[in-house]
Amino acid sequence: MAAARRLKRVAVSQPGFLTLNPKVGPTDLVSSRRKRVNKNKKKNWNKYSDVQDVEEFLEDVRHQERTTGGLLSEKSDDSLFFLDVGQPKKVEEKEAAEPVKGKKRKGKSSRPLRIDLILQHDSRVAPPKDVLAYQKPNAKKLRRAAERAEKLAAKGVVPRSKKRLLNRPVVDRTSKKTETEANNNPERDFYDIWGQETKDLGEPWYLQQTRKKLVKRPEKLNEKPSVLPAVEVIAPGGSYNPDFFSHQELLREAHEVEVKKKKVEDKIERQLAYNKEDTATEETILREQVEGLVEESEEEEEKEDAPKEDGEEVAVGAIAVADKKTERQRKREKAEKMKEQQRLAERRQTEQQQQLFQLRSIKTSIKQQEEKTQVRQKRRKAKEEAQKAQPRRLGKLKFQPQDMEVQLSDELAGSLRQLKPEGSVLMDRFKSLQKRNLIEPRERAKFKRRLKVKYVEKRAFKEIS
Amino acid sequence: MGGLQKKKFERGSATNYITRNRARKKLQLSLPDFRRLCILKGIYPHEPKHKKKVNKGSTAPRTFYLLKDIRFLLHEPIVGKFREYKIFVRKLKKAYGKTEWSAVERLRENKPTYKLDHIIKERYPTFIDALRDIDDALCMCFLFSTFARTGKCHVQTIQLCKRLTVEWMNYVITSRSLRKVFLSIKGIYYQAEVMGQLITWVVPYQFSHDHPVDVDYRVMATFTELYTTLLGFVNFRLYNSLNLVYPPKKLSALSASLARVVSSAEEEEAQLDHFPTEGEDMEKMEAREKELKQQEAQKKLFEGLKFYLNREVPRESLAFIIRCFGGQVSWDKSVCIGSTYEMTDETITHHIIDRPSVDKQYINRYYIQPQWVYDCVNAKVLLPVEDYFLGVTLPPHLSPFVEEKEGDYVPPEKLKIMALQRGEKTGNEQEEEEEEEEEEEEEEEQEEEEEDDNGDEEDDEEEVAEEKNLKKMEEQRSQGKVIFKVTPGKLKVENKARLEQEEKAEEKRLAIMMMKKKEKYLYDKIMFGKKRKVREANKLAAKRKAHDDAEKAKKKKARK
Repeated sequence: MAAARRLKRVAVSQPGFLTLNPKVGPTDLVSSRRKRVNKNKKKNWNKYSDVQDVEEFLEDVRHQERTTGGLLSEKSDDSLFFLDVGQPKKVEEKEAAEPVKGKKRKGKSSRPLRIDLILQHDSRVAPPKDVLAYQKPNAKKLRRAAERAEKLAAKGVVPRSKKRLLNRPVVDRTSKKTETEANNNPERDFYDIWGQETKDLGEPWYLQQTRKKLVKRPEKLNEKPSVLPAVEVIAPGGSYNPDFFSHQELLREAHEVEVKKKKVEDKIERQLAYNKEDTATEETILREQVEGLVEESEEEEEKEDAPKEDGEEVAVGAIAVADKKTERQRKREKAEKMKEQQRLAERRQTEQQQQLFQLRSIKTSIKQQEEKTQVRQKRRKAKEEAQKAQPRRLGKLKFQPQDMEVQLSDELAGSLRQLKPEGSVLMDRFKSLQKRNLIEPRERAKFKRRLKVKYVEKRAFKEIS
Repeated sequence: MGGLQKKKFERGSATNYITRNRARKKLQLSLPDFRRLCILKGIYPHEPKHKKKVNKGSTAPRTFYLLKDIRFLLHEPIVGKFREYKIFVRKLKKAYGKTEWSAVERLRENKPTYKLDHIIKERYPTFIDALRDIDDALCMCFLFSTFARTGKCHVQTIQLCKRLTVEWMNYVITSRSLRKVFLSIKGIYYQAEVMGQLITWVVPYQFSHDHPVDVDYRVMATFTELYTTLLGFVNFRLYNSLNLVYPPKKLSALSASLARVVSSAEEEEAQLDHFPTEGEDMEKMEAREKELKQQEAQKKLFEGLKFYLNREVPRESLAFIIRCFGGQVSWDKSVCIGSTYEMTDETITHHIIDRPSVDKQYINRYYIQPQWVYDCVNAKVLLPVEDYFLGVTLPPHLSPFVEEKEGDYVPPEKLKIMALQRGEKTGNEQEEEEEEEEEEEEEEEQEEEEEDDNGDEEDDEEEVAEEKNLKKMEEQRSQGKVIFKVTPGKLKVENKARLEQEEKAEEKRLAIMMMKKKEKYLYDKIMFGKKRKVREANKLAAKRKAHDDAEKAKKKKARK
């Protein structure tokens, strides 16, 4: 930049230099009158040195550069002037033809818009180069590193980052694919899950901390919550073509269950029963409505009298206060108390002494007690054992056994073809799960509508109805 | 003395339990998710001993879990997946609402899924553990495989269940491990012995579904999700143990045998060790050997027989059973794929049919009702076919799951079968006899009655029962033979035995006399109980006899 500026100055000082601004002549550059100012201060430099001419000149240079792309003085004559030979005829014709054409292609205007022309960059000076785009930070350092790496590569040394990439475990693409496979895919494949040893992927501490190793299942969880078998085979009477007696036996059992149910129902009905005579008749309803309207004055008076008397009596009873004890009485009572205590203590002592002679009977009584506890323990244990096969209370609802599958004698089919299956295996499995305490008995969740349904008759429907 | 006052419900059982809602909040899951997690992980609610202590003084019924169980659940990686799924659903809903179909597709592609493999491994550390718990899995899978595609559960689940159950049945066929079958009014019960474990499962009849409303399908589906995984792994292991290829190809018809990994895998007959272990007696050994022999015989029950199933019989169940015991089976082409031969095949020995009559009958095959197959399996012998012919009133189908104790009432049909099992040689005679029986019914009845009267008077109840059997089952001729054979040389032996018996009886009597009063009381009680049982059994037997007589009389009247 500085060099270019110097060159411009030099060019300007030449005698043949033309300025665009005619006012500014080369002679004006040197002023005639000079003010005397101290020039050893920077402030004065700025204040009193007249740089107007220089500024103007530079502005002119910039102007030339902008509009023509360089200094006019340096340009060749050919580029500045041309020979005027008048207007060619063809052009006129063209101009005459143009309006017609312009009308024709009104839609696509080849000319740029005026607004775009205004905004166009009209300087002839090339934009300065972005130096930073060519500069690299740390270029030297990087270059050196690259050189070093080249040298090492020639020797055959692999850098660490590459080595790590090479050494990383191979990702099994196929296993990733099986991961995304649905669990109930009918074509899924199985493998020997119990045969293969689990591969150790790393040290245990790492696996544990990164939660890659599963937590050991507590032993207690492998105990079954019930002793019942998974599949309880139906009684022999449940055969499709049963033996007469086993069928009767099954029928009897089913009958007993039904009787029990009926009993419960009956009990509830009895509890809910009411006396039929207590029902309201027209007469009683009327009496109730008229209650208090007829002959009220007499009754009220009587009623008012009664509670007053009662109140007085109660008050008298409540305020009855015991007389104060005299000093003598207190002393006597105390002495009596002491005496009584002494007597009891003596008695206790003698009793203890007497027990020495009752050793035998005491022993027997202890023995009896022990026997009793043993019996009780046994009973409790048996009860616990029996409880193990029972369904537990696991939730709000109690376990309800399903209805017994039974076919009456006339329902029994003569052959396998005519058999009508009774009950459902699905229900049986579900109840079995409940019975074995694997799931809690539950009622189906009721559907609750959050918002009210609004009924609107459609217009089309309305017209008809 | 002194110190701070202890606060209530801050120690003891109150701190060992946690209510369901609190547990749910601790895990940050919704209730259905929590329930699912518990089922998958095998964590069940627990009833506390003292509810009032646990429930902070209230006795309101609530669902409790053990706190330690819930803490264990906190470590489960599936919990994270559940949360992810929740977010996935939310995003999907939003995308739907905004009708951004590309977003819907992208979300669908990245649907979070989870595997239950690690849970299976965790809950069943060894293969035997898994086998012990396979009953439930089988029941559930068989049940779900019969579901129609009604939208009650996912179609894929149904398909998976179907595949797994067919695989299981094929394993049972190949290993010949079926033991018992029972046709009940609810469904068909099967019992197989796999690797020493008795496994029972129930299969519903086809087309019998009315979906009950008060069953929580979500819970059942969750159980099925777990059990399909379990059954799959068990199947794999079982197939491996028999050197079979897993997964097998083309199975659904149950008519083809499975491909083996090692092609020349012959049936090795397992020989029982002949040196008895220290504690065991020779008698026990013998009994075991006998049992094993019987089992082997049962495995080959239908070998060499060729069955044809008519279209009205339950095809899957029958094909499964027949193939389990080595029989060949086929059916009409239009019923199902996999039929191997046609009805016109001359080598068919048994034609299973369940209708009153047929137009065209082949002379060289038995036309029998399906119950015969089931009864044969339970009896472990081929029963006489006469009782199961077309149009014949069938004998009752007895439950093989009942095991009578000494002195219990045993229905006569069972006695008959037991007799057949003991004397297998008389099988052919038996058939002839029964043919005769039909002719000579009346005479025999009278005889039987007389004999029974005599028998009741005798003291030893077991002998009575046995004699009854003999008299009912075998003809008098055969009895006579036995007597003839015995007379020449074995009298002495009998005498010895009798002497011994007498001695023993004498000793017993003395022992009873020497008993303490208390023990005597107990002993008398036990004996009384036994006698009462026997008396009841006798009563039932008499009742049955009366019933049978009445029936017979009815029949006779009808005939006339």
